[in-house]
Amino acid sequence: MSPLRAKAPRSREKRLDTLGAWLGLVSAASTEFAGDDIAQRIRTFAQSSNDDLLYALRILAGIRDSVTIIHGPRGCAAAGLYHIAAGSNTRWVVTNLDERDTIMGADRKLRKSVVALYRRYHPAVVFIVGNPVIAINNDDIQSVVEELHEELELPIVPVYVTGFSSQNAVSGYDTALHSLLKYLSGNSATALKNERINLLAVAEHPQDRKEAQELLKQLGIELNVIPDDSTIDQFRLAVSARASIPLSPDAPEYLGAILDKKYGVPLINVLRPVGVEGTGRWLKSIATFLGNEEAAEELHEIKSAETALQLGDFSLKGIKTYISLSSANAFSVLDLLEELGGEVAGLTITHLDRLHVRHLNELALRNPSLQIHVSDGQAFEEISILRKLAPDLYLGDATHLGQVARLGIPVVSLESLAIVGYSGVVRLARRIKTALANSSYGLSLAKVNSPYQDAWFRRSHNWHIKQEVK
Amino acid sequence: MSNHLEGSRNSCALHGALQLFEAIEGVIPVIHSTSGCGVQHYLGVTRLSGGNDPFSSPPVSSSNIAEKHVVFGGGSRLREQLKNTVKVVQGDLYAIVTGCSTEMVGDDIPAMAREGREQEWPVVYANTPGFSGDVHHGYHLALKALIEQLPGIWKRKGEFQTRLVNVWGIIPNQDPFWRGNLQELGRLLEGIGLVPNLLLGSEQGIAAWTQIPEAALNLVLSHWGKLPAGLLEQRYGTPSIILEGAPVGSAAVPLLRRLTEQLKLDQIRSEEFITREESLLNHQFARLADSYYRAGFQREFVLVGESAQVTGIGEFLGKSFGLLPRMLIITDNPPDNVQEALADRLSSIVSGYDTEVIFSEDRAEITDIIKTSDVQLILASSLEREVAVELDVPFLALSFPLDDRIVLDRGYAGYRGATALLEDIGSSILAFSNDRLFC
Repeated sequence: MSPLRAKAPRSREKRLDTLGAWLGLVSAASTEFAGDDIAQRIRTFAQSSNDDLLYALRILAGIRDSVTIIHGPRGCAAAGLYHIAAGSNTRWVVTNLDERDTIMGADRKLRKSVVALYRRYHPAVVFIVGNPVIAINNDDIQSVVEELHEELELPIVPVYVTGFSSQNAVSGYDTALHSLLKYLSGNSATALKNERINLLAVAEHPQDRKEAQELLKQLGIELNVIPDDSTIDQFRLAVSARASIPLSPDAPEYLGAILDKKYGVPLINVLRPVGVEGTGRWLKSIATFLGNEEAAEELHEIKSAETALQLGDFSLKGIKTYISLSSANAFSVLDLLEELGGEVAGLTITHLDRLHVRHLNELALRNPSLQIHVSDGQAFEEISILRKLAPDLYLGDATHLGQVARLGIPVVSLESLAIVGYSGVVRLARRIKTALANSSYGLSLAKVNSPYQDAWFRRSHNWHIKQEVK
Repeated sequence: MSNHLEGSRNSCALHGALQLFEAIEGVIPVIHSTSGCGVQHYLGVTRLSGGNDPFSSPPVSSSNIAEKHVVFGGGSRLREQLKNTVKVVQGDLYAIVTGCSTEMVGDDIPAMAREGREQEWPVVYANTPGFSGDVHHGYHLALKALIEQLPGIWKRKGEFQTRLVNVWGIIPNQDPFWRGNLQELGRLLEGIGLVPNLLLGSEQGIAAWTQIPEAALNLVLSHWGKLPAGLLEQRYGTPSIILEGAPVGSAAVPLLRRLTEQLKLDQIRSEEFITREESLLNHQFARLADSYYRAGFQREFVLVGESAQVTGIGEFLGKSFGLLPRMLIITDNPPDNVQEALADRLSSIVSGYDTEVIFSEDRAEITDIIKTSDVQLILASSLEREVAVELDVPFLALSFPLDDRIVLDRGYAGYRGATALLEDIGSSILAFSNDRLFC
């Protein structure tokens, strides 16, 4: 049976034993994931965190010539304004369901919206996005999709996110990618293969994507980049490509796996191109596949020499850094910081699952007492951890960096800093240098009170993380 | 049946309630909903309002319900979350707000709040599902919760304060300049001898909210402030002065005189204050005259924003600054009778010149209307930057959402607000003309 037959893929928890709450040493994590039975954890106190809807929107924000209809109440589209501010290509629409709609259903309203938006914009594709209300109500999106697809001769792609069926937002990437492939890629690869390589870039910083593209171009590789900043035709093209290389082993995992399993496009299994060595390894992996290793080796040598020159005497020797990032990013930044001579004080990662086992095992050998904290948006736990560890520097991309800075720790935000490739190393080094050189702003922030009770800081950091009782 | 909305700028009731609660010092909202509701609020509201964010993060407590709570009910999860919020987060008051999911499931929120109160925790609640309305509705729900439930927690003796004035109707973050606007209104009230009860912003906490019943007057600065004023009139007999928007520049004069008369203040003091403020503003006008004529400030403009902003700013620019309001586009969706009154009042700001007054909250519709307007200046939200670039006219973002401005204490109300407005509009026209001179 085709893996794309279902409305949505199974959640990450079910597919990969993904945990969204965990705290312990890397050696313990490695041991736990060596077993078969991984118990889910829940929190008895929680703070806002991303959900599958928000992650799906990140992907849709990058599809060109599209209209995104969030079929729900008004607030479910709030993040659309954020994406518009960030330069998103899509038109953001909400069907604005009211109380009556939640009782009576609102497929008529949805139908009307699709037709009106089709007439106004003649987009290449219309996305219809689910949310908690539609999921609870079981609104019939599917029949609207099927009817209007025929009537308007327009690709209409439903994305069945719910906001609650997975506790890990990253499942939302899978759900969006599942729908994109299902509705835009056709049932099978065309008989004629093309020469392109799919570059799988999911919700990446545009400059990161461009850096990767640029490097591969220098190896003479013709690319098909999906899904970031892509047209819908590229999804059709993707299934007949020669191979796929991901920009991260995590976010596009589902996309790479389906392209491989269903369409026979081999996936090159490689870590993120971050750091000089990481970037070199990434380039060599694709070059090896194409039998072009020498060119990659040569490029790597030139670029690493250039990077070394630009870095000059920059070193993180004696600097302990705390990292708080999405999982794949965190592990690759860890390697990069060590490459720059630094030490890592601890990690907070958004989720932990079977995709990260090789990192866990490797770290368990090298640095078994390193602490790993799994959390998306749980600032109260992070603040408690940071007070204890007192690192010299904090690297993160969450929305609570201001709280961290109140501890007086120098902060570098990676939310809008491109760190992929050789130039990424130089860019990050410069940011770190600047952050460490002047901590006056942080000292002012440190005079503002923490939102938390002192009693909380006397508890263990994982006080509110419990094993789920089934 | 409501229509779909493109680039909606009025978000939902939950977000409106969060905006109010987050603007009161010491109030900790406890969200009972799916985990993303608070993040949507942060990304789509807080971050786009000039950087006004109290915790340096999304809201600090959220029950993040899972599938099992949708199936079996989430009451017990809320009980646990509330108990632990009190232990983890410092606060004077904990305010439960709900999302669509928990309302559809039917969790008994009043019962949970009552349980909390029985533990002697200061807890209020508001049922705020997004499907019940937009931010303005959420602002109402949160105000109603506070006005009705606070007296059950803190019983004050409540001696009548003859100079105390409650200020209503400025919605935090939906008006990105709310802090500055409130501070300036407070300064004006103090200038004539009143004690402003601003209720929101710095140093405005539970103490301000518990003295509401003792006030001599409610000052209402937008349509949205009428509801709390009405509730207080019913409960405590507090009279109200109602304006459709905070006055900008000389529009403050009739207000200050009316307050002086109604509350029997020292008339001489008030007149002296007015004279000083007027004279300062006139000097500001005089100082920018050279630039005004040189760069052709006098032009037809379109203004897009909430009814309160459009009324205050639109009238100031038309009545005192010589600009011509070609189109006023009101985005906060006031009820029909208010729309009629506003259209009536605003269509003839400049005598002999017709101003079109339009009500819309749809980005596509607003863009289309502006394209046909043939204006030479656009004052709007960041959503209108695209059309301003296309029409190649000067542009200033001053209504929600704002994606390229930091707003800490800046305001556009009162006399100081008028000066700030002159600076910002003038600067955007000059920057625009300079760009075209040198390229």
